[in-house]
Amino acid sequence: MLINSVIIVLREVLEAALIVSILLAQGQVLSLPRVYFMLPVMVGAILAVVYASNIVAVSALMGGIGQEIVNTVLHGLIVICTMVLIGAIKKPQAKLIIIIAGAGCLATAMVRELAEIIIYINGFASVPSLLSSVLAGSFIGAGIGFSIGVFFYYLIVGMRPINGLRLSLVMLSLICAGMVSQAIQFLMQADLIPSHAPLWDTSAWVSEHSIIGQLLFALVGYEATPTATQATGYGLALLLAFILAIQKPRCDDVARPKGVK
Amino acid sequence: MRLLLVVALLLSWGPVMAMPSIEIIIRNHLFYPSELTIAADTKVKLIIVNQDASAEEFESYELNREKVIPGHSKGIVFVGPLAPGTYPFFGEFFPKTAQGHIIVK
Repeated sequence: MLINSVIIVLREVLEAALIVSILLAQGQVLSLPRVYFMLPVMVGAILAVVYASNIVAVSALMGGIGQEIVNTVLHGLIVICTMVLIGAIKKPQAKLIIIIAGAGCLATAMVRELAEIIIYINGFASVPSLLSSVLAGSFIGAGIGFSIGVFFYYLIVGMRPINGLRLSLVMLSLICAGMVSQAIQFLMQADLIPSHAPLWDTSAWVSEHSIIGQLLFALVGYEATPTATQATGYGLALLLAFILAIQKPRCDDVARPKGVK
Repeated sequence: MRLLLVVALLLSWGPVMAMPSIEIIIRNHLFYPSELTIAADTKVKLIIVNQDASAEEFESYELNREKVIPGHSKGIVFVGPLAPGTYPFFGEFFPKTAQGHIIVK
């Protein structure tokens, strides 16, 4: 149970930790006050508690597909906020947009990932014999996840600002594309869009069960058996993120973020 | 226009109404039944009833499905249409005991 808790919590924490660390690093590179990022993390944590507390009612919504609908909306919000952020990051006059999009992304990511951890740990409140190992495993998993987040934070802020921004944009684009793929999966699971056979199967090379599979899932939205719809959604999201990222600032964008040449 | 809407609704509801559904019970962190057999190329509605007090997450990498089923509640997961084969599923919160598979023929 200890190892299982480590893996479950690590997977959830890793996704949130990556988003938080990338956005914090971007804020650092762009000299934005940290309060703009810490506040939405706290708001997201509170909303995660509310979501987790009402999971039974949410699940029963719309004939039993409420969970899929809420998760799709959460993933959709993360994708929209991330795309807006990618498009605005090079525009110095778009500071407010960057802050709002970053805050939205952080709060939504916290709700999505933290709610599942709360549901998981809370489920063991009724199984006292397992609770201590679940808590221990959860702390270890959270610790590893945070450590990886800290690693990427210092990796980005330690680079030349322009390279740090580039790396953060690439990482955000991949996470965003993974979120699109996951949202499509939820819609198929709820039978709101047609489900098809997988386009390919790479589970023999990298299993989604494995630690590497879980890491790749968090980093690049790795899916061993994606459907054509998921692969198309993933590709289109990457393409859109790329187009937004390579947009040149308009001529009137005279000032550049501090440290970015 | 109204007639078109009615026809469209009937067409969209037709397959749903005809869709087979199978109930899976989670009890003492085990799936009952743990082996299901369904027809190939058919969409199936799985009704997962969690009779335990603790939550469970129905998960299958092969089916691309994951859903949290809170304690003493039920959830719905649609699977298929699938090609013939065996598709394992498990409870992510209790993976050692909560295991099962769907055989598609």
